[in-house]
Amino acid sequence: MISLIAAALAVVTTLVALEGAGPSSLLRHVYLLPVLAAALRFGAGGGALAAMGAVLLSAPFVLPEIERSGLTTEAVEGLVTFAVLGLVGVMSGVLRTRAGRHRRRYEILVAIQRTLADEATLDVSLARLRAALAGRLRVDEIAIVGRDDERLVIAGGDRVAEGSLVARVLESGEPAFVDDAGGSVRARRAFATPLVSGEQTVGVLAVERKGELSLAERATLQAVGAHLGLALENARLVSRQRRFASELAERVATARRELEELDRAKSAFVAIASHELRTPLTALQGFSEILAVRRLPPEEVTRLAEVMRREARRLGRIVSDLLDLSRIERGLEPALCRVPLKIEPAIEATVDIFRQGSATHLVTTECEPSLPVVDADPDALERVLTNLISNAIKYSPTGSAVHVGARALDGAVAIEVADAGRGIPADALGRVFEPYYRVPDAAGVARGTGIGLAVVKALVEAHGGTVRVESAPALGTRVTVVLPACAAAIHGRSRSVP
Amino acid sequence: MWVLDQPYTPRAERLFAGTPLTLLALLAAGAVAAVALVEVGVLPPRSLRVIGVAAGHGALLAAALAWTGVSSPSRIVAVVLLALAAAAAGLGPLGAFAYLLPTLWVLWLSACGRLTGLGLGTPVSPRTVVVAVLAGAGLASHLLISASRTLGVQVRVDHGSDVLAAIAYDLGANVLAAECFFRGALFNRAQRRWSFAGAATIATAAYVLRYVVDPLLPKQVELVVGAVFYLALLGAINCWLLWWSESLVPGLVSALVFFAVYRTLGA
Repeated sequence: MISLIAAALAVVTTLVALEGAGPSSLLRHVYLLPVLAAALRFGAGGGALAAMGAVLLSAPFVLPEIERSGLTTEAVEGLVTFAVLGLVGVMSGVLRTRAGRHRRRYEILVAIQRTLADEATLDVSLARLRAALAGRLRVDEIAIVGRDDERLVIAGGDRVAEGSLVARVLESGEPAFVDDAGGSVRARRAFATPLVSGEQTVGVLAVERKGELSLAERATLQAVGAHLGLALENARLVSRQRRFASELAERVATARRELEELDRAKSAFVAIASHELRTPLTALQGFSEILAVRRLPPEEVTRLAEVMRREARRLGRIVSDLLDLSRIERGLEPALCRVPLKIEPAIEATVDIFRQGSATHLVTTECEPSLPVVDADPDALERVLTNLISNAIKYSPTGSAVHVGARALDGAVAIEVADAGRGIPADALGRVFEPYYRVPDAAGVARGTGIGLAVVKALVEAHGGTVRVESAPALGTRVTVVLPACAAAIHGRSRSVP
Repeated sequence: MWVLDQPYTPRAERLFAGTPLTLLALLAAGAVAAVALVEVGVLPPRSLRVIGVAAGHGALLAAALAWTGVSSPSRIVAVVLLALAAAAAGLGPLGAFAYLLPTLWVLWLSACGRLTGLGLGTPVSPRTVVVAVLAGAGLASHLLISASRTLGVQVRVDHGSDVLAAIAYDLGANVLAAECFFRGALFNRAQRRWSFAGAATIATAAYVLRYVVDPLLPKQVELVVGAVFYLALLGAINCWLLWWSESLVPGLVSALVFFAVYRTLGA
């Protein structure tokens, strides 16, 4: 292109010389063509140089005229041509340069948008942006530094040295230009502009170029920096929003699964509870009808009355558990009437009931002497023990032993109920205290509502205690309840209910 | 990357820092004294040529060398060699070849790597030298055509020895000192502070001023205008050559070609 423009200027000059018309030759206007071409191709610099070339080439036709005859009409025409060439070259070039700069700026903005369209980490995004901007900004070196909380992510370098230009811009939030950043003879320019989002400096865009880095280019870089800061922040927000939405969807799905499971468990519970309630009711109804319509010997009446009493107790226990569960589900603690209570008699009383009612298992007790008194509701404690011993009997083979013991801890009493039953699988251990939960294969072994251990846990925790279950499949299960001792008992004084 | 790795401290050095004021004052005092002595008849008038070269070109060359960190003795050697060359040139056309002495001295300093700050002693591409020759020849050709058409001057071929002596003077004093100072030193420093256009304008304006105030320049208006026009173009071109090639050699070549052609002009 340069050769073509130079050739065109030379051809026009030759034609003007051959025509011999002097400074007023009409052919002089043809100089405008190569000047315009240079301006449109190379911008302001090219247009100015081509115009200067045209002026230099036509000067030998104009200056002699001035030297010979002064400022004649022809000479003035020649001088006006000089001015027109200069103006056209420079103005066209400036307009072309500006248009090119705007086009490049829009291309850069589009490139930024495209680069940040994909969801990626800040490290990856900055590396991609750097690659996208490196060619378009026409600089020798480019670095993008982004803030990620306390961490600095750097694309185009390893570190930000203390006191460096980038460090200063990060600190001040103001752009900085250095007109001599090293370089051998031609100075190396450096410019760093903050990436701004709102009032915050979220990073720095820094470039280096050997040679000019004009004011207009710096303004463009500043605009790119502002846009980049906003785009990075938007990308970060979008990423965060997507992550949040994803987490939310996952939580909703989990909650839904749990609700479905709970719903299934409740349905199963209703069926089981109905059955559990119906069994003692049937017994009560049947035996009471027998007693009403038939005349039986006294021993038989006593036996039937005993059965009815046992079933009534069982019915009462189920209803109490249901009431407690209802309170638990409403977020209320079970209603307690706490008094200082000796553990050993309470254990013996409960175990006696089972000894009388069940001849299938050997229930043993072993309590340390002089156990501290606990501050507990006697009925609640009885229900805790009843539930635990009942479970131990239900899930251990006939003829095996169920051991109930109590020992003193530091400021507390630990009650243990251990059996030599089938045990609880490890993956179910964490869920045995959930309401309605039953170990998957437990339904085929024994009757139950799945609320007993949930009630135990609620009752124990309402006393300020803890409950723990340990189990080994095929070896047995041990449930340990720890209840805090009375403060008075700790200090050696006790007033208890036997 | 410099912006990341290097600590940044704003520049505190002034544009004219490192100027050898004592040496320049001595040269100025010497020139004034020489003029006075010539006036009273103690020194012959031709001694003004010697002191003029030593004071004028010597001051420019010494300042350029000082700005790039060359030691004081080396600067004094340059001034002395210029004075010797000017004295030798006064003895006859062949004496002008003594102007090779300051040239060789600068070459030696360049070879030692002490003038890299001026753009000497650094690698130079043959392409840039070719462009420099074309630029100098193009400008000189334009000067020949314009001058012959406007002022009626012609290429002079009958005084070859005088032309050679003038070219030797350009090589060892005129072009060497001007390019070293106005391009290698002044433009080089200015372009580290301002844009290329600003730096080139300052260096070129100073360059043109140096020739306008030169007592050897004829004072006819058309000649002064012509000198300003061509020297401004030559100065701007040489600034660009230094900036583009990162070497002072193309500028020296361009100026030498231009002045060599200029020396062939005669009435």
